[in-house]
Amino acid sequence: MSRGQGMAQFLDNLKAAPRRFAESAWRSGTPNTDRSRSSFVFGNVFLHLHPVRTHRWSLRWSTTWGLGIASVSAFLITLVTGVLLMFYYKPYPDVAYDAIKDIHFVVPTGRFIRNLHRWAGNIMAVSVLLHMARTFYTAAYRKPREFNWVVGMVLLVVTLGLAFTGYLLPWDQLAYWAITIGANIAQSPREVTDALGMTAVFDPGGLQKLLLLGSEDVGAEALIRFYLLHVMILPLVLVLLIAVHFWRIRKDGGLTRPEDADRRVGGPAGIHPSFTEAPQKTYHLAAVVRGRTAAVGRGPEGTVPAMPHLFYAEMAALMLTVFVCLLLSLLIDAPLKELANPSVPENPAKAPWYFLGLQELVSFSAFMGGIGIPAIVILGLALIPYLDRETTGTGEWFGGPGGGRLVAGSAVFGLAAVLLVETFAIRLGWIREWWLAAPQILITLVNPGTVLTLIYALYSIWLVRRHQSGRAGALGLFTCFLCGFVVLTIIGTWFRGPNWGFYWSRAHWPGH
Amino acid sequence: MRGTKHLLLWTSLGALLLLGWAAYAENFRQEWRLLQAAYRDRLPADRRAEFQAQLRQIVVPALNSVDRCVTCHLGMSPGDTALPGDRVFGPHPDVSHDPAQFGCTVCHGGQGRATVKADAHGDVRHWPEPMIPRRHAYAGCGACHTHLAIPETASLDRGRALFERHDCLACHRMEGRGGTLRPGGAGGMEGPDLTAAGARGYDRGWYPGHLAHPEEGRTGAGDGRAEAAGAAGSGARRWQASFAPLPAGDPQAIDIYLGSRVGAPGLVEAKALFHSIGCRGCHSIAGVGGDDGPDLTREGQRDPGQLGLTHATGGASPTGGAALTGWLADHFRAPARVVAGSAMPEIGLTDEQIDRLTFYMMSLRRSDYPEALWPKDRIRAERFGEREFATDGPTLYGTYCAACHGRQGEGMRFPGTTAFPAISNSDFLAIASDDFLRQTIRRGRPGRRMPAWGEKEGGLRPDEIDAVIAQVRRIGGGVVARPDPRPARWARGDSAAGARLYADACASCHGATGEGGEGPALHNRVLLEAAGDTYLFETIRRGRRGTSMAAFSDASPVRRTLEDEEIEAIVTHIRTWEVKR
Amino acid sequence: MNERSRLAPEPMPRRDFLGLSAMTSALVALLFAGIGMMRLPKAAVLPSPSRRFRVQLPESLADGEAYVPPGRAVAFYRRGDTVYAMSTICTHLGCVVRPTASGFDCPCHGSRFGPDGAVLKGPAPKALPWLQVRAIGRNAYVVDEGRTVPSGTVVQA
Repeated sequence: MSRGQGMAQFLDNLKAAPRRFAESAWRSGTPNTDRSRSSFVFGNVFLHLHPVRTHRWSLRWSTTWGLGIASVSAFLITLVTGVLLMFYYKPYPDVAYDAIKDIHFVVPTGRFIRNLHRWAGNIMAVSVLLHMARTFYTAAYRKPREFNWVVGMVLLVVTLGLAFTGYLLPWDQLAYWAITIGANIAQSPREVTDALGMTAVFDPGGLQKLLLLGSEDVGAEALIRFYLLHVMILPLVLVLLIAVHFWRIRKDGGLTRPEDADRRVGGPAGIHPSFTEAPQKTYHLAAVVRGRTAAVGRGPEGTVPAMPHLFYAEMAALMLTVFVCLLLSLLIDAPLKELANPSVPENPAKAPWYFLGLQELVSFSAFMGGIGIPAIVILGLALIPYLDRETTGTGEWFGGPGGGRLVAGSAVFGLAAVLLVETFAIRLGWIREWWLAAPQILITLVNPGTVLTLIYALYSIWLVRRHQSGRAGALGLFTCFLCGFVVLTIIGTWFRGPNWGFYWSRAHWPGH
Repeated sequence: MRGTKHLLLWTSLGALLLLGWAAYAENFRQEWRLLQAAYRDRLPADRRAEFQAQLRQIVVPALNSVDRCVTCHLGMSPGDTALPGDRVFGPHPDVSHDPAQFGCTVCHGGQGRATVKADAHGDVRHWPEPMIPRRHAYAGCGACHTHLAIPETASLDRGRALFERHDCLACHRMEGRGGTLRPGGAGGMEGPDLTAAGARGYDRGWYPGHLAHPEEGRTGAGDGRAEAAGAAGSGARRWQASFAPLPAGDPQAIDIYLGSRVGAPGLVEAKALFHSIGCRGCHSIAGVGGDDGPDLTREGQRDPGQLGLTHATGGASPTGGAALTGWLADHFRAPARVVAGSAMPEIGLTDEQIDRLTFYMMSLRRSDYPEALWPKDRIRAERFGEREFATDGPTLYGTYCAACHGRQGEGMRFPGTTAFPAISNSDFLAIASDDFLRQTIRRGRPGRRMPAWGEKEGGLRPDEIDAVIAQVRRIGGGVVARPDPRPARWARGDSAAGARLYADACASCHGATGEGGEGPALHNRVLLEAAGDTYLFETIRRGRRGTSMAAFSDASPVRRTLEDEEIEAIVTHIRTWEVKR
Repeated sequence: MNERSRLAPEPMPRRDFLGLSAMTSALVALLFAGIGMMRLPKAAVLPSPSRRFRVQLPESLADGEAYVPPGRAVAFYRRGDTVYAMSTICTHLGCVVRPTASGFDCPCHGSRFGPDGAVLKGPAPKALPWLQVRAIGRNAYVVDEGRTVPSGTVVQA
């Protein structure tokens, strides 16, 4: 090889370097055939969670309304904006408040970024709740997706935890008193241990509060703990669980669809190669790993390549979320009240809106409203897939015996029950007003919250018996709880005023 | 697929649009940017080029303040050109504290970090520290200068009247007035500006010195203008002619007035009024004063968001400093209408007085600055225990007693309260020894409206209590207590008979067990301990002229006359309560 | 070593003592490390300020009238020549209650307490605790917020 040749070679290599870099990064060439698109997807670390082909049923808007992607998009927005906010935020009392003010007033785009963070957080909470409702109503939790439903429950709790811990960070009045109330809810098992006279030896409530606050009251220790939870622990848990959640979607066979999905999406005429449940030929590798296997067969084809169909859908959901967040951030500023003052409570002291339903329950009994009933609800939800072992209606909205009519009926019943119980409690009061010396354990066990829970439970059992179906009971119970949650949240948000009194509108609030 | 693509397209374009708008708003639409652009246009052409549109701030680490007010108020920003006469861009008036060194919020309140007008001025709900309204701007001095030795209104008014009557304003400037006349009819200020005489100090011996040596008249002012001193002798004679000896007492009164001129016009008068109508009888400031009403130490820093404006009537704005001043003014007019259940009586103030009290309330603020930065007056007040007001008898009486006992000790009666005793009553002063008065002031009347004013409780020192007693005797016409030769406890009457007589003659006003009613409570630990039998005996026998307490030894058609033994029995009966206790 | 097809499953002995004990000890060790780490967030001594303080009652304090020292969550009462103190922290969820003519009102969830701290209304589970008070003369008292006493305990003034 002559010297000149070597030089020419080098120059050629230099010229080709960008192309080769692209080839090495993406490996497969331009994704213009089904095959190269597939290899583009599974050759990319960020995309390989996706299937190669997606069923067209999954791509219908009404299947998911994009709520899962919306949730994760909102999370990504909070992640990015949150990291940006950390440039200026200092987790120390009073200094924190000044930092937020600085972000709000001086930092370039600071107010916008903070608004985005807040709105994305809110949208995340909403979309996670709606995503759960979607999954439930399409019976998508059924075998083999039970475990993913449970993971989803944990994700819901972590999302709410993130929202709650973020609420303290501005260190304003709103934050301070919401967190004081929250920390005392953590302490509320004392309501039971006190009644049983065992607080001295067994005090889980006190321990919870101590771990949360690191002190007896909300101060510097509490702020740094909430900060740590908000920016480190909970996001890590969330990311980890999101990874599991996504991975399970893949492994559990993608999104749920009805048996006759192929027919209903109107597949193209003819027989095409497809993945089928009944393998006609199996790979050796699959023989080693036992269980449901990917196998090639022939049948009616309802799938399309994930690239680009699925990606368009995902991008659309992402951009829709971004758009809504941007719009809200431009229109409505995130609130900032006055600096926290430990000796004057806000009146009324309200938590973020998604906790106001709970706060309404808490205003009857701290333990039941703050811990008991939420725990029962979360546990009940997590148990649903293990109790409902039916198969009819899977993948269909309100699928199951009774269907839409049952859900509508349950909604009417759920609304009526919650409105009745609330009206009763607001108009006539509760046990303590009629019988001053009532033992606390009685009120803890019998209060509007538990009564409502019991009514819903009995109604759902009645549904189970009537339809001879666990799914019918679950549909009724879930609908009832959803109605209860919405109504309680609305009452807590708009109809509660100073001293948590009931007021028809803000205009009726007393001056002081 | 097609629908999805459309959704993606339109949401992305929408997001781009929103981001573009946000970027435009961030870079071009911000309030302060618009203001700075307007300012730039009005600058002289040669300065326009060097003007940079950017946030400006005054940072004072010691005060923990970051004041971005100068971002808009460019005339007050160090290094920028002021546009005189402009409301926003004008220069700061000449004050003793350079804004570039002290920042803005330290005096004016407001949110220094904010760069939006509404937020910075505090005209937003839930912003705890709004700006002090311009009208009461000098109230801001109160944040640091707590110790203005202010006399009560009457002395102050007298001093001011004399200052004006004796034509001091001809040569001297005072708070923007006067100082326009020179001997011989020429214009211009001759004497020094006395606006801050009380703060900067002045030579009190100047006036007598000048009278004694008229030829030095023009240099006596201390600033020795050489070219003026070289004027002809005829000039000196003209000076001599223009000074007449002041009547005795007038120079002292003028001194009191001048001593109160500290460069805070209005604030001094406001504080003087507060210390003339007895507000501290019920309200305490910095731990000194009664505790019937709320503590007022930080009244001017109250959060307007927490006021409860529903009952405020006078068109108070809902937010900002104006909300607080409006609330205060409404409150002074009719306290119970603004604060439900307020025990504060309607004092019947004029609008001017209400405005002054509002002014003073706004000046009640305490800022947590490091002690090294405190002004000398605050150090004197908080570390050496000096009073925040003058401690002569009239001022002390005006500060603590006047609200309940009346400015002339005539007693007061407000709707809904029992009557407050007339303490300048000569019948009372004739039998009340100084010691009795001292005990009464020091220990109060537990359980009644009269608080204990002793050093540990209300904060009055022994010499101050003595000054108050002297003042009470002065407004009572100089009545001195007759010495009492008898021991403190001499009554040995029949207490059973006394009880019957008491129930018959006294209980209707003083209550069946002396708990008080229309008349004062007699069953009171401090009263029974401090009062000698002679005091009780003589009060019953001679009564108190001008009050409801009749002289029971006098014949009367409507009630029986009491003999001396009967009075003694009643006194003995009253004494039994003391034992029981 | 036996010849074994790669497709035939590897036999797993039912009682693999070595493997079982190795795995168990690893888990126990990790668990113990976890417990040890959990000790860190639970402070041995809380950084809360001292809850005992001295208070000077105003002499003019009338019977049945509350006196709340500035910045504290304790209400003092005088009754005859006795004195007692109550915490003003709501037993429900920790808000600061306000003394009123008829007792105490909580702004957060509407609990109402009587003048002796007993619950009259609302979700509060317990009466407001009475606090330990010690008289040190001349209207001065030392109160300890950390020590509760049975309702009705008073001290002589």
